[in-house]
Amino acid sequence: MNVLSALVRRLLQLIGVMIGIAIVSFLMVHLAPGDPVSLLAGDRTNPAVIAGIRHQYGLDLPLWRQFIVYVGNLMHGDIGRSLRFQQPVAELIVRFMWPTLFLTGYVLCLAIPSTMALAVIAARRPGGFADQTIRAIGIVGLAIPVFWLGIMMSRLFGVTLGWFPVSGYGVGVGDHLYHLFLPALSTTIWLVPVLTQSLRAALIDGTNADFVTAARAQGASEREIFWKTILPNSVLPTLNLLGVMVAFLIGGAIIVEIVYAVPGLGSLMIGALLGRDYYVVQGLALVFAMATVAVTLIVDLLTAFIDPRVRV
Amino acid sequence: MRLSLSRVGYAAMAVLGAATLLAAGPGATPAARAAETIRIASPYQTTTLDPMRSSTAGNIETYGLLYGHLLLSDPQSGAPEPGLAKSWDISADGLTYTFHLRDAEFSDGSPITAADVVFSLQRIHSDKKSAYPAPLSAVDTITASGDKTVVIKLKTPFAPFLGNLQIWNMGIVSKADVTRRGAEAFTKVPLSSGAYMVKEWRPNEKLTLVPNPHYWRKGYPKSAATVELKEVISPETRLAMLKAGEIDVMRAVPWTQIDELKALGTVDMKLEPSTTIYMTLLNDRREPFSNPKARLAAAYAIDNKAMTKALTRGYGVPANTTLPNGVNFHDDDYPGIPHDIAKARELLKESGMAGHEVKLLAHSSATDQQTALLLQAQWQAIGLKTTIVNVDHGAWVDAIHKGDYDATAYWWYNETSDPDLAVRWAVCGTCGSHSYYTYYENPKVDELVEQGTREADPAKRAAIYKEIQKISTEEVAQIPLYYAPNATAYSKRLKGLRLTPSLQWTLEDTTIVK
Amino acid sequence: MMNTDPAPVPIRSFRPTVSNAIAIAILGGWLIVALAARQLAPYDPDAVDILNMLAPPGATHWFGTDQVGRDVFSRVLFAARVDVFLCVSGVLPPLLIGTGMGLVSGYFGGAVDGLFMRIYDLFVAFPFFVLVLAIVGVLGPGLVNFIIALTLVGWVSYARLIRAQVLSIRETEYVQAARCLGYSPAVIVTRHVLPNAIGPVIAYAMSDAVLVMLAGASFGFLGMGAQPPNAEWGVMIADGQAFVQQAWWICLFPGLAAVSLGLGFAFLGDGIGQIQRRQVTA
Repeated sequence: MNVLSALVRRLLQLIGVMIGIAIVSFLMVHLAPGDPVSLLAGDRTNPAVIAGIRHQYGLDLPLWRQFIVYVGNLMHGDIGRSLRFQQPVAELIVRFMWPTLFLTGYVLCLAIPSTMALAVIAARRPGGFADQTIRAIGIVGLAIPVFWLGIMMSRLFGVTLGWFPVSGYGVGVGDHLYHLFLPALSTTIWLVPVLTQSLRAALIDGTNADFVTAARAQGASEREIFWKTILPNSVLPTLNLLGVMVAFLIGGAIIVEIVYAVPGLGSLMIGALLGRDYYVVQGLALVFAMATVAVTLIVDLLTAFIDPRVRV
Repeated sequence: MRLSLSRVGYAAMAVLGAATLLAAGPGATPAARAAETIRIASPYQTTTLDPMRSSTAGNIETYGLLYGHLLLSDPQSGAPEPGLAKSWDISADGLTYTFHLRDAEFSDGSPITAADVVFSLQRIHSDKKSAYPAPLSAVDTITASGDKTVVIKLKTPFAPFLGNLQIWNMGIVSKADVTRRGAEAFTKVPLSSGAYMVKEWRPNEKLTLVPNPHYWRKGYPKSAATVELKEVISPETRLAMLKAGEIDVMRAVPWTQIDELKALGTVDMKLEPSTTIYMTLLNDRREPFSNPKARLAAAYAIDNKAMTKALTRGYGVPANTTLPNGVNFHDDDYPGIPHDIAKARELLKESGMAGHEVKLLAHSSATDQQTALLLQAQWQAIGLKTTIVNVDHGAWVDAIHKGDYDATAYWWYNETSDPDLAVRWAVCGTCGSHSYYTYYENPKVDELVEQGTREADPAKRAAIYKEIQKISTEEVAQIPLYYAPNATAYSKRLKGLRLTPSLQWTLEDTTIVK
Repeated sequence: MMNTDPAPVPIRSFRPTVSNAIAIAILGGWLIVALAARQLAPYDPDAVDILNMLAPPGATHWFGTDQVGRDVFSRVLFAARVDVFLCVSGVLPPLLIGTGMGLVSGYFGGAVDGLFMRIYDLFVAFPFFVLVLAIVGVLGPGLVNFIIALTLVGWVSYARLIRAQVLSIRETEYVQAARCLGYSPAVIVTRHVLPNAIGPVIAYAMSDAVLVMLAGASFGFLGMGAQPPNAEWGVMIADGQAFVQQAWWICLFPGLAAVSLGLGFAFLGDGIGQIQRRQVTA
């Protein structure tokens, strides 16, 4: 396991992914019906005026030519300007990035310990009372749509009880923790059941492994076996699942950000999609791609670290 | 092979550590907050600070705060009052308007001169990128005569002209600044001539304004508070923010939340007069609604009184003509097309369109979805096979322009109390909007629209607009549904704040109650 | 796994477990409801009744009526069709595609794995909402297109899950033994690697079924214009959200239905897991 060579290989592969994402996101957003200029100017604007502005921005050129211009700019590190706000996309993304990253980190801090605790308790005695309760509550947590849960929690904890703010991001780390607690909790409530199911299944499977039986034959206590043998061997698939979920969280925090009015990448994305702000959408797609590759790399490195047999 | 706990443990710690680092972010120091803030939450975004580029809802509200106008309007009577123009003369033939400017400055202290006024109005009138030049369509030339006088010559006499000068995109911008910086002049902090100036613009999030120290109106804005215009898409979130005290004003209160807000002691739930009309557009470019009898049948099938009650919970007023009831010369007595299912079926059979398919476009808000379902049910009942297609606004505009729809329920509002712009927008086939993209065209109506613009005598104008409403409603240019007041909720800690029918906030007159 | 003999162990007796029984009861029940909705429902689920909007649960409308007067009980029953279909078709294709890709990628490793990994990254990196907006924009709205979008994004989780398992399992002694004995990769993968790797995948599939079923709700809430047809539990919850202050029943009953179906899947996952474990232990 050579970390450096893995890193280099991944960086090279990142370029491939970025090109793929650039092409696909460009096509997707341009093929959707609707046009940024008429959405910006408003319903009252004359089609001739709209055509003129589109011409000025080069939006009436054939798609392949627009794509070449875009890629050309990318090479110079320019990911474009927002068609609506006339501000650089990079500036917008950097500003909206922090709340989403904070939220993702927050969710991980809440979800990982909870998942491990709940899965362990459940797997100790499969079919037992604790197991059934945890799984039943888990199903409820999964089945409640996250926007509904968010709105209900906002009403209960934010408005009625006044324990937490219902919107915004705050200023300063303490304020961030305070403002983002409810959004983070809303996300954790559906994420934990997903991860717990997976980890629990792996733990139960692990109980029957041959090296476990061997350890039992050697007289090790059940408790020792569980912590030293079963758990470490069961973590890997869940870790990979977590990786996919984190990537999804960075791109998928939209709903929680809308419900709690958090100025993050999700709310930037939805505004850009509804307004057909092409370069913002494409820029965000590239950023999500980079984040995903980074997360995948981290997961693979951790996997190799935990299980040295695995070749990265 | 056994994997050791210690490896898993280290890995877990690494992940948690990284997560915490992410969570720390760039440590921001809490900024010194303004002593007082007025916080308004609205679903409408401010997408540009340049009054020329856009006519969308959020921007309209912003322009009015940043840029001064030649004229203001009296809050009670609506009559024009001196603004940046301290006085004005109108020539006898009604073609020449001369405005005498008062001494005033932009937010950086530079004087507002006739050259700035000419520049600002000229760009709205003739710039190729101007989003809404219609209010100045009658204008021939705009010239400066010296530093303090502006002369506007019209092509023909135009009764509503003074009213049109108060519209939100008639705000005065700095010629020197815009010529020098171009588009950059509006991307961060533009030069303001109005009551407020931009402190910080965070697109897609909020716009923070502070009082303009160089505002010509001494003593205004009455409160020194900072104003935050926050953009919050979800109405449930806005409601929670208002109830939790995180905002002071909630714009666009959905009908379903009005009762709840009325019951709140800390909030004034106001239903303010508006010029907004909800109606159904029918596409005259293709069947079934290219057939006038089919359109009439569709109109008879709709029970708009019951729909209004169901959709607005009684807070809206059923609409009787194609014009909003908030504009002058609205015909309050016109009976409108009644609800008559039998007649509807008969007309539909006569038209030959019975059983035809109808593609009904619907936006996604709760009220839009409800409206679409009710329309669908009423049209199915007379034999029109109606399918609902859900779209977001971008796809909606695209479909409307292309004529790829049969019907859609939507709304529009009029910027002034004068009906001239309203009829040009909604029922005039040759005025540029194709009767709001229905392609309804009646040369008689178009002719009446021109007459209404030129006629000066109010009694005669009333007759003209009455006739326009009668013809366009009978021929179903659109199906009127209801008139909607502006439902806005205000915290009781504010005094003097309201949203005018032209969608402008009276923040200048607002004070914070201790 | 005690099984050092590479030959497969046949499934002995299919002794139903408690979990399986419960799963069959719940899922079977909903399947019957879905198929017989027309017979069971007292009202037409799309019948609008403007005079009877937002009526509370009572004798005439067991679950009350919604914001345009439609009977909630009938809608919940008819929605079962769409949702059961959505669960199955939103999970099976990603599961099959993902498992296949993950097995191949994990077992063969090397360049194949490298290539597949970049494909995974490409799909996961893709913002789901952009994808759905585009698919709906180009192909049009509707259930099938929605499922296509879900499949395009969803297979990656399965692929990564199974790949992780495979990476560990392929180094075990019995797999090495099988290789030495000259069994073809296909045999090794299907008979030895797959049964041992499938556990977490089944568990995830059960949670995925619930998430997929309610994905429509998110789109309804965001107003992306991509949601499946109206009578679907997720969309009922999303549409009912605005009226929840006056009419809690519009959201509650579809929610309970979704939870019960989710429980059914959870027990099913358990049951399958038990059978699978019984198969691989001697």
